[in-house]
Amino acid sequence: MGDRPLADDELVARAKQGDTRAYGTLVEEHQTIAFRTAYLVTGSAADAEDAVQDGFVKAYRALGRFRPGAPFRPWLLAIVANEARNRRRSAGRRERLALRAAADPLSGGAVPSPEAALLDAERREELLAAVNELGEDDRLVLSCRYFLGLSEEETSSALGWRRGTVKSRTSRALDRLRERMGVEA
Amino acid sequence: MTELERALIQLGRGLSFPEAPDVSERVLARLREPAPRRRRVSRRALVLAFAVLALAIGAAMAVPPARTAILDFFGLRGATVQRVETLPTVPRPSESALDLGRPVPLAEDGRPLVKIPEVLVPAALGRPDAAYTSAESYGMQLTLVYEPGEGVPESPYTGVGILVTEFVGEGATRYVEKLADAGTRVERLQVGPYPALWLEGGPHFVIFEQEGMVFEDEGRLAGNTLLVERNDVLVRIEGEITRARAIEIAESLR
Repeated sequence: MGDRPLADDELVARAKQGDTRAYGTLVEEHQTIAFRTAYLVTGSAADAEDAVQDGFVKAYRALGRFRPGAPFRPWLLAIVANEARNRRRSAGRRERLALRAAADPLSGGAVPSPEAALLDAERREELLAAVNELGEDDRLVLSCRYFLGLSEEETSSALGWRRGTVKSRTSRALDRLRERMGVEA
Repeated sequence: MTELERALIQLGRGLSFPEAPDVSERVLARLREPAPRRRRVSRRALVLAFAVLALAIGAAMAVPPARTAILDFFGLRGATVQRVETLPTVPRPSESALDLGRPVPLAEDGRPLVKIPEVLVPAALGRPDAAYTSAESYGMQLTLVYEPGEGVPESPYTGVGILVTEFVGEGATRYVEKLADAGTRVERLQVGPYPALWLEGGPHFVIFEQEGMVFEDEGRLAGNTLLVERNDVLVRIEGEITRARAIEIAESLR
């Protein structure tokens, strides 16, 4: 059972001792979610990549301030997303990111799940268009919560909003989306 | 979970994100380089920097469009006040938008029943009408609410009489930042042995910050406020009250 992957807190503890290999494992585990979060914030893949790289370096150097036992992912996302926001600000750009559906989400011979059948292609396009038309904050909070599957705590860290704010903005964004979609609550 | 939420989750699974690049090698290579050392700023450099800043402020003030530039800073260890010419515009908050967290019950003596190392209640205000607590990523927050009443007018900014907020715990030392415009008087003072800041006369803006990460909350304007730094607890007293009354309230905290 020696091959069992180490949990984040064990990896963090080792990284704190200067074990960069352990930190490398943390980077590999979290870089996709970190990149997607940064991409939602910056709207640019190049800026997101820089934000992720700098964020991981800064997080490593700040490990001494990381509270033992606390979850690593929200803390990391806060640092990466902050880097992403700084980049967007310094670029003087508020590029509007339009999320796109993958060309064929069901390709590769996948059998449509019952869930997939629930949301046919037409309705998917309609829903995506409605999300893209929402205001920046609404789109960000819904993307973090539902598209990236971040928890409220992680969304709070990533967007730099307090937890109560995440909750209230999510609910308001859902209301506005319902209005656009003509769905009843 | 509603049908709409389920549909969003499902939509998310089919979204096209650019492929996440593998940065692990580059990150590890950078970690092998020595960490950039914090630069020590010499006194001379500091004096020079202030001189340049003063010039920059002077220049900015001479050019009307640049007047939103930062005018000056006031700081406690736990809070900084940044003076700006123009405040951001924000909608007037409704009481529910105050978003104070989870309500907590009060004991018979009016003290909130909450697991916080040091709960401070101002004896000068009597029993609070309500108390709320919230665990934020930057620490614990406890808020005592006093409804308007005799000598306590309703605040146009909060919709209640007086708000006493305590920021407690690790990292509680630097997370309230405010923007004050030229109409706000900012004064440094002492409340007993504790350093304090008094903001009066104009609205200011509340922002949260921790370790360089700025929490741009749903901004709200705030009225007269006394900030007192009591060791690890930053106490914030807000309401349409005078400086003397705010100090009296702060001195009665126990």
